[in-house]
This record gives sequence, structure tokens and C-alpha cells, in this order.
Amino acid sequence: MGASTLSAAQASWILFGGFFGMLVLRVPISVAIGLACLPILLIEDRLWPMILVQETFNAYNSFILLAVPFFLLTANLMNAGGITDRLVRFSRALVGHFPGGLAQINVVLSIFFAGISGSSTADAASQSKLFIEAQRKEGYDDSFSVAITAVSAVLAVIIPPSILMIVWGGVLTVSIGALFLAGILPGLLIGFAQMGTVHVYAKLRNYPTYPRSTMREVFASFMVSIPALMTPFIIIGGKIFGWFTATESACIAVLYAGFLSVIVYRETDWRGLWNAFSETGKLSAITLFCVGTASAFGWLLAFYKIPEALMAGVGAWGMGPVLTGFFIAGVFLVVGCFLDAIPAIIIVGAILQPIAEGAGLHPVHFAMIGIVSLAFGLVTPPYGLCLLIACAVAEMRVIDALKDTCIMLIPMLCVLALLIVWPDMALLLPRLIEPDFLR
Amino acid sequence: MPSHPARGAFRRATFLYSRFLDLLLVLTVAILIIPVSLQIFARFTEFLPRYIWTEEAARFLLVWMVMIGAMIGAREGTHFVVDLFPSLSPRKQAVLDLTSGVFVLIFGFIFLWYGIEFTQFAWFRISELAEWPLWLIHIAWPIAGFSWLIFTGERMWDSLQILRGREAG
Repeated sequence: MGASTLSAAQASWILFGGFFGMLVLRVPISVAIGLACLPILLIEDRLWPMILVQETFNAYNSFILLAVPFFLLTANLMNAGGITDRLVRFSRALVGHFPGGLAQINVVLSIFFAGISGSSTADAASQSKLFIEAQRKEGYDDSFSVAITAVSAVLAVIIPPSILMIVWGGVLTVSIGALFLAGILPGLLIGFAQMGTVHVYAKLRNYPTYPRSTMREVFASFMVSIPALMTPFIIIGGKIFGWFTATESACIAVLYAGFLSVIVYRETDWRGLWNAFSETGKLSAITLFCVGTASAFGWLLAFYKIPEALMAGVGAWGMGPVLTGFFIAGVFLVVGCFLDAIPAIIIVGAILQPIAEGAGLHPVHFAMIGIVSLAFGLVTPPYGLCLLIACAVAEMRVIDALKDTCIMLIPMLCVLALLIVWPDMALLLPRLIEPDFLR
Repeated sequence: MPSHPARGAFRRATFLYSRFLDLLLVLTVAILIIPVSLQIFARFTEFLPRYIWTEEAARFLLVWMVMIGAMIGAREGTHFVVDLFPSLSPRKQAVLDLTSGVFVLIFGFIFLWYGIEFTQFAWFRISELAEWPLWLIHIAWPIAGFSWLIFTGERMWDSLQILRGREAG
């Protein structure tokens, strides 16, 4: 290995300067990440632009990423086939009589949804259509409706199954089964924190509520939802017992949702199926395209050893596990503002791994801190995909929904802090159910 | 209102092309399920053959799905952008769209130019498991680059019309 034409500092200026410069000009993010690599590929003697093509190819040619279209398709089939409607009915029977009934249903449905699909963008897209207009009609403030829909959508990647866990496990070689189990408690706690937030909002602003459902209705709605509620057990159980791999579990989710929609509930028509497939292809392709160019970006960062240079001092600070945990969460929260979660795992996860290891964080604990922080990044601007989607459906500006989103993030951040100081929130369930996963 | 017959024909062509891509995309997503399901169920049953190519087939379909979806995204303008100036006048919007369009054009050109080389590279190579010709997958890059150029060009043309004080035709 000879010396390279550019120094690491010059290369990082070009990469990050180019990327942020193009972002400001409203160049699509995937293009901005890819083009930022171009000057370097042209300048550096031993590199050429073909690397951009080759690296994007290597990124897409991956069995792990199949989970993205599969979980999106699961979500779309659920909506088209009446599964979602039944879960709404059950959620309403459970929490409709709480203050802010409809918003509570919004959160509880996200929890159920999270156990079936592992895609937050799918959750945000479908629930925005379902709830924002309905909440508007019942007199909820627009910014509140958008914010609660967006923040509850992040549960989909924290509660298993989850695309982020599959990618994290694949990229950083952590047991995905352990991650699935580790996500349950933090996910439920964040969900409860959100329900608490809705309660306070509803009390302060006098949001409407529904009459309490009879026990009979609770039971009836539960019965019709049972087939849908079985999904998490099939997916997570199948993964834990080793019947299928994590990516295959996403395919099982598709088959089961398709089976329920087409054969059990029989509410889909051809048009609905066609749209479900088409929407799935479009949204997952756009998300994954970013992953490809981000991989090329990450490849160049590694070529110049920029991450090592950035993190060289950190190991020497001598932070204990708790401080390191907060440091990791901070880095992911900041990165999550600008990058989608999957590229962030690929680029940043690998950088932080040695630091977490050095501080004695358990790999599964480290993964959960990272995943929860990155999930929050889905609602933090400028690049908060769930917030962008919810705002697009509501036809309002991101800035106008920002205040309520930030307020709702506070209790969620408290849960994250608790997760950092109390590792058992993540490690308890895997240890009880399948200690082998933790080695 | 196509003021120019050639331009009208071009619009029709891009429209038909995008419908064709839509159809391909739906098919790709639908077919994607088959190899992965085969792979799972072959493990538990006797009568399903355990093909070695299922994993590779799924990966290659995913590659094509991403590339086709990205082409459609370029036409529909759905690739995510970070919006720092939320509400602008249509003219300022058009200026910004044209500027960012230039970058997208460069990107499309890179994919086209180096994608051709990438495809030539793979001309005589075959895949590891199924032994399919590799150029069948690599060719997605030049095609994507070409489609990005057309679709982005079309969008930039519309912006230019707004800038010149006319509605997009």
C-alpha cells in the first residue's frame, strides 16, 4: 500500500462538504451521497468512478436487505386485506375510553403493527392515512396528530421483528434472535411513555374520548384479531427455534399476511393487491437506493481510515460503560438526523463497535442503544423519514409539527437513558428465554 | 398541450416506458417471494427440491427491484430530499429544481457511462451458484443511468417552462 494522493483530512472535507453542500441545494439524498464520492474517485490515482457502480451493486446484492421489501409488503397486505381494520377495532375496545381516545388507538395500533411488520416507514405511511384526517375531524390539533403518528411509527423498528435488527445483526454479527427478544421491553416502555404523553395532552387540551366498550365487545374484537395477533409469535418463535433465518422470517410474515387477507378475511381485490405490490416496490427501492450510495461513501471513509482518525481520541477518554452508552446514543442521534438508519448502521455502527467493546458494553446492549437512537432519528429533521411521510400526508410543513414532536421525544429519550443505565431492560428477556443467544 | 409534435411523441414514449417499468416492478416484487418461500419450505418437506439457486435468485431480483424502483422514483420525483426552504415561489422553486437536476443528470451519466463498462466486464462471466450470465444483472446500471437522464431531463424541461413564465406542457 503506497501513500494516497489525498490526505484523510482533504478527503473528508470533500466527502462531507460535498454531501452537505448538495443537501442544501435539495439534491436527493441518495444522489448527494453518491456524487460526493465522485471528485475523490476522479482525483485519487488508484481509484476510478467504476467503484461507485461496483459498491452499489455489492450493497444491493444482499440477502439481508430483502427484509425491507418483505416487511413493507406485509404492511401493505395488512392494510389491503382488512387485518388493520380488525386491529383498530380491538385497539379501540382496549383504550378508546382513555382521554384522547383516537390518539391512544393510534399508539396501541402501532404497537400491534410493530409486532407484525418491521418497517417504520410502512407504519408511518399507512397510519398517517388512517389517523391524521380522522383526528382532524375530531378536533385534534394538526401538529399533534402528525407528531403522534410519526413518533408512534418508530416503535415498528424497536419492537421485533425489525429491519434495523436484521441489518444490525447481519452487518455487525450479533445474534438476531437475541436482538428480537431484547427489543420487546424497551419497545413496550416507549409505547407506554407515548400513551402517557397523549394522556397529558388530552387532559390539557380537552381532546375527545369514546364511551367505554363493553366486555363483550372487547372479547369479540379480540377474537376476530387473534389470527393477526398470532403473527409476532410465529415470526419470533420461528426465528428463535431456528426454523428459518431472520430474512426468511420477513417472507413468512408476507405469506401469513397474504394468507389472512386473501383466504381468511377475504377483503382484497386484484386492484388492492396490485397497489400493495407497486407501493412496496417503489418505497423500498427508494430507501434501498440510498443504502447503495451510502455504502460507496462508507467504503471511501474506510479507504482513508477517516473513522479511525475521528474516533482515535475517544478510546483514551476512559469513559465507563454508562458514559460510553450516552456517547454512543448521542452519536447515533446526531447521525440519525442526517442519514437513514440502515446506511447509518453500515457506516457508523462499525466505527463505534470497538469503542463499545472497549468500555465493556454487551454487544446486544450496544445494539439496542444504537437501534433505539437511530429509530428516534426517524422523526428528527432534516432527514426524519417518518415525520416527512406524516407531514406529506397531512399536507403541512415539517417545521410546524416540530414543537409537538420534540415534546413527545422527551419521555422517549428518558426511556433511552433508562436503557443505557439499566442494561437488563435489553438483556433480561434474552437471558430468561434463550441464554445461548448471549453466549 | 403538446405544442410540438415531436415533443408530444417524446412525452408519450416516456409515459409508456414508465408504465412498462411499473409492470416490471410489480412482477419483480411478486416473484421475489417465490425463491425465498421455496428455500424455507424445502427444508421441512420431502417433495420440494432443495434448489441451490434460490438465495442467488432472490438477491438478483432484489437488485433489479431496487434499480427499477429507483428509475420510477426519478420520474415521479420521490427520491427523498432534505427540505431546508419549505415554501418558495414557483419560480424560485423552478430555479432550485434545475440546479439539483444538474447534479442528478451527472449522477445518471456516471451510471450510464461506467455502467456500460461494468456490463462489458461481466460479459463472459457467470454467477457462482446458478451459473446465470452476470451481464443480465450488471446491465441494470446503464439502463438505470439512461432512464435517469430521460426522466430528469423531462422534469427539468418542465421547470424551465415555469421559469420562462409558461405552465408545463
